[in-house]
Amino acid sequence: MSNAIVSIENLVKRYGENLAVDHFSLHVEDGEILGLLGPNGSGKTTTINCLLSLLQYDKGDIQIFGKPMRPDAYDIKSKIGVVMQNVAVIETLNVYENVDFFCGLYIRDKATRKQYVEEALEFTGLSDYKKYKPKKLSGGLLRRLNIACGIAHKPKLVLFDEPTVAVDPQSRNAILEGIRKMNREGATIIYTSHYMEEVEELCSRIVIMDHGKNVANGTSSELKNSLKNRETIRITLPNQSDDILRALKEINHVYEARFENDDVVIRCDGGEHNLVHILSYLSDSHIPFGRVITEQPTLNDVFLEITGKELRD
Amino acid sequence: MFGRIFLYKLKELIRMKWIIGWNFLFPIVLATAFALGFGNLIDDDPIDFHTIPVGYVSELSAGDADASEPSAFLQVLEELSDDTDDTTVLQLYTYASEAEAKDALSTDEISGYYLEDDEDIHTTVPSNGITSTTMLQIVKEYKNYKETLENIAVDHPEAMADALDTLTSDTSFLSQHDFGNDTSPYLQYFYALLAMASLYGSWISTAMLTGMCANMSECGKRFECAPGRKLVAITAGTLAGLCIQALANAVTVLYIQYVLRIDLSAPIGYIILITTLGSAVGISVGNLFGSILKNPILLTVVPLSFAMLCSMCSGLMVATIRQAIEYYAPFFNRINPGAVMTDALYHIGYYGTTRTFYIDLMIMGIIIILNLVISGVLLRRRNYASI
Repeated sequence: MSNAIVSIENLVKRYGENLAVDHFSLHVEDGEILGLLGPNGSGKTTTINCLLSLLQYDKGDIQIFGKPMRPDAYDIKSKIGVVMQNVAVIETLNVYENVDFFCGLYIRDKATRKQYVEEALEFTGLSDYKKYKPKKLSGGLLRRLNIACGIAHKPKLVLFDEPTVAVDPQSRNAILEGIRKMNREGATIIYTSHYMEEVEELCSRIVIMDHGKNVANGTSSELKNSLKNRETIRITLPNQSDDILRALKEINHVYEARFENDDVVIRCDGGEHNLVHILSYLSDSHIPFGRVITEQPTLNDVFLEITGKELRD
Repeated sequence: MFGRIFLYKLKELIRMKWIIGWNFLFPIVLATAFALGFGNLIDDDPIDFHTIPVGYVSELSAGDADASEPSAFLQVLEELSDDTDDTTVLQLYTYASEAEAKDALSTDEISGYYLEDDEDIHTTVPSNGITSTTMLQIVKEYKNYKETLENIAVDHPEAMADALDTLTSDTSFLSQHDFGNDTSPYLQYFYALLAMASLYGSWISTAMLTGMCANMSECGKRFECAPGRKLVAITAGTLAGLCIQALANAVTVLYIQYVLRIDLSAPIGYIILITTLGSAVGISVGNLFGSILKNPILLTVVPLSFAMLCSMCSGLMVATIRQAIEYYAPFFNRINPGAVMTDALYHIGYYGTTRTFYIDLMIMGIIIILNLVISGVLLRRRNYASI
């Protein structure tokens, strides 16, 4: 793992009796957008706080840029940007001052800082709101300011901790596009969320956390391909009989068929053209059918299969 | 880094409306209320505050060779009550018995009385404060002089004449106990008010720390993720808080002195010095609270309660409470920053730069240093068991 920007080995964090992070390991390669996905309370934010050396941990080893991460590792910290889950800005300073203040903690040269602040405001679409106080901004703009404060100093590694919570779709899309742009410009991203669609859309690799553990790790396709159920086909059937179910199960790659209300739900474990084969059977057998829906597996299915519960629970 | 954090913290804090309200406006409003309440009493007939009516009762034995002559102590009292001198400290009444003196005391004809017998000089003064201090100090100084002369008479009788000349020409004892110009017991309330205003600085520093510590706010988390030395940043923030509180106090002092036209009875430079030191005490106390407490409600309630308790015990509501504490629990007055600051203002106002004044300044310095050292040790940690 010589190319790893972040390396976490066997991290353990306890709050009294509660085991928040349970022997969690993670490696993030240079240039990746890694999605850390898990339900609320799964240990994502605790892991991020340990990674940033804000939280003491009971066991484990954390290295960033190949060096041990410590509270006083200023050379490492200078290359990290953090976008907190909750908005972390100073209420009495305006938009420009907020970004300038936090950028100034990293960049000392005045001219460079000024340029970076302008770029961060441009990047987050806040150039027209420089003089606004945070309380005058909408929720979406406030989130963008939160991001601008975290990334203005052009960090090599950026940690986004659920940055789109309570954000309108327009701002959400702008935020996600901004993250992609940062990544294209060379930043490595760790993105935690419990929104699986976001993670799936954005991240090149995904780690799923539950109860503080790393329960799955891979690209979106790899995770979905690990499922037995690769395709779900739902067809409305006015005439239902056990003979139909038996016949459907005879079709190659169909491993489950059952009736749900007016529909028959068919699950396939792979293969290609499953829908064509099923519709051919119905047509050839003169079995009338109505609406046809095919569903590809989601990360929620992955999570459901691994943990036995919904990701959104 | 230090300069930028200082300037931004200054900007951040000065824009907080509650700081403008509580640290700048509230002391001014309270001072105005005090001035409306007893402003005239301060200005009325200053001579009443210069001169203490005291009684004297002699119970010296009749067989004493000097019984027909006034005692040496009585002569000192007569000297102090001599109205031909500029410094008239006492208005002296002599009584034949202690019962008569007690009667006079009960009718407020006198503020206290001395009873001299063959053993000692006993001072009876019911009220605490400037009157009791002065009456007791007179006896103390008299005894010191008497003892000095007796020692010289025994050990070096040849130097007796020179010693008498030296001691009788030394008038510093009298001038030290002059009440100064236009001083009034009611000024005590304004001194306690300035102490209270200074201790309000503790809110400023807890607000400042909240934005710098990861276990206190989201901003604190962001701050501690940055590659800067935390204690340097906190020092810059503390200095910014001190500047704001010192400015608030200076505004209050100038308002009392020049707008309300209440003479605080001391050079304005000294008063600003004391209130600035007091501001530093308040800020350092806030740092200590901020280093111990995490709960945002406690971070408001504790400094508020502390400031109110300390200023109440230094005479904000009842002027004589500080003297009562001095009588029953003097140590509390030494560690109560409000009382120490009030005492420093009181001494500079009534006596000038006495030893006690410098001791008060020193105590304030010690309180500041202790608070900053303890809070620095606690705040220097950069990661937490939980946030």
